[in-house]
Amino acid sequence: MENIIEFRNVSKTYGTGTHALNNASIAIEKGEFVFIVGSSGAGKSTFLKMIMHEETPSRGTVIVNGTDVTKIKRRKVPYLRRNMGIVFQDFRLIEKMNVYDNVAFAMRAIGSSPSAVKKRVPYILELVGLSGKAKNRPSELSGGEQQRVSLARALVNNPSIIIADEPTGNIDPEMSFEIIELLSQINAQGTTILVVTHEHDLVRHFNKRVVVIEQGRVVSDTKETAQEFEFNYSTDPDAEPIVYDNAGAEEVTEEAEKAEEAAAAEQVAADEQPAESKEAE
Amino acid sequence: MRVSSFGYLIKEGLKNVWNNRIMSIASVCVLISCLVLTGSAVLFSMNVSQVVEKVSQRNETTVYLKDSVSSAEAPFLRVELMKIKNIASADFYSRDEAFKEYKSKLGDEVFAYLEGQDVLPDAYKITMKDVKKYDDTVKQIMKLEQVQKVSDHREFARKLASINRLVQILSIAVVIALGVISLFIISNTIRATMYSRRFEISIMKSVGATNSFVRIPFIVEGMVIGLIAAVLSTAGLAFLYDGILHIVSNVTHVDGIPLADIIWYVAGAFGVSGLLIGMLSGFISIRKYLKKEGNEILGW
Repeated sequence: MENIIEFRNVSKTYGTGTHALNNASIAIEKGEFVFIVGSSGAGKSTFLKMIMHEETPSRGTVIVNGTDVTKIKRRKVPYLRRNMGIVFQDFRLIEKMNVYDNVAFAMRAIGSSPSAVKKRVPYILELVGLSGKAKNRPSELSGGEQQRVSLARALVNNPSIIIADEPTGNIDPEMSFEIIELLSQINAQGTTILVVTHEHDLVRHFNKRVVVIEQGRVVSDTKETAQEFEFNYSTDPDAEPIVYDNAGAEEVTEEAEKAEEAAAAEQVAADEQPAESKEAE
Repeated sequence: MRVSSFGYLIKEGLKNVWNNRIMSIASVCVLISCLVLTGSAVLFSMNVSQVVEKVSQRNETTVYLKDSVSSAEAPFLRVELMKIKNIASADFYSRDEAFKEYKSKLGDEVFAYLEGQDVLPDAYKITMKDVKKYDDTVKQIMKLEQVQKVSDHREFARKLASINRLVQILSIAVVIALGVISLFIISNTIRATMYSRRFEISIMKSVGATNSFVRIPFIVEGMVIGLIAAVLSTAGLAFLYDGILHIVSNVTHVDGIPLADIIWYVAGAFGVSGLLIGMLSGFISIRKYLKKEGNEILGW
């Protein structure tokens, strides 16, 4: 299968001297569903920003949809972004617009015709289960519903990639599962999905590819290791990050194996719990 | 760009003006003061130029005779004057006629105590065949020994012209200063709109809106502010000009340029200036935002 996103030895150092990404390499195929996990400040956001061309690497190459985005001309960036749909943790809906207009806004912003908007928006709202709420303002909706509007807006221009940055961070656990389920259904139709999350319950529940980024490096990738994802990092930004060996995936895997024993008991317990009780947690 | 998109962007620009109406009104007021002051300066200058032109081309010069020339012999100077090639006509204008004329213009009181005294000289009013040869003709007239002096109305024209130049220099300074102030105020108005619409801008950019698509509503906003100011300024200046012209012509008997002759030029100039200043303000304001990405637009 063809790669839709490829990072080749990408490093990013900000002006402050922070190394957000450090020689990171990863390839995501068309139609994949990938969870990106890692502690706060690990480099996940920078990773997403580079795909969206909000940041450019200090070194290395980023290829999206066959285009080297490190060399793309500034005026071509909007067209690159039309292949992506972005879902934000804080929804970023426009309060003065109703649900319909929030979704239609994304189409109008790229110059779609009014007839195309009229045809497409109701279809997308139905897809995310919000047909009955088209006239409502965002503040009249629950967190889960707001995130579905945000998802509808991301989907409406029929992108080949959906990038969801902590899409479940502001909604209750039950809704979180629904959102990821919805993303899975969209993925089943061929759209590549990238979800950045801290919620390991979700990651465990949906058996998808998991990429762990720590200290700017891809330290674990279930596709590479052919192993199930092990939750072995802290979501506490003040916690000491787990230091992986920089030599490469092999040694990282060894590190992961060492951690496996410690996490085994928790993993077994978690697997035995029914889904509902996990969600209730 | 589609026509429908263009319509959508214009509508968004108009919405910006309405949603941010207090700042829009402030911008319109500043731009009106700029345009009216500029327009006033230009109209003043145009009128002065016209007066200068008229005075310069006035083909009537007064030749004053020396006091020693008696009233009896003065009328005979006409023959001498008519010998000068460039003189087309020479009419005797006696001190009595001059006295009567001044008296009727300025009132009896001023001239009451001068009655009976020879305060005004005898004179000739001459016209020239070619006004361009004014200097040479005056030189020849001055050679006649009965002539005291020749009134040089061009001196008055020169004084007016120098005042006009001063007004023009001041006008340019005022226009530049007010233009910069207008740009600053309108840019800030648009910036305030942009701040309130930063979410929309960030979403537009994230879904792949081109820079021109993001920019157009803000440029439309600036242009609408400029156009409103231009229409109001034209109306205001027309009202002011007509009033001032009326007063000036009553007091000085000088006819200025009629309003009807200039009003469409004023409207056109104001329209173009308002639109350009508004457009430029839109460009200046959005430039910063277009360079930003993602959360930077939101100030996070």
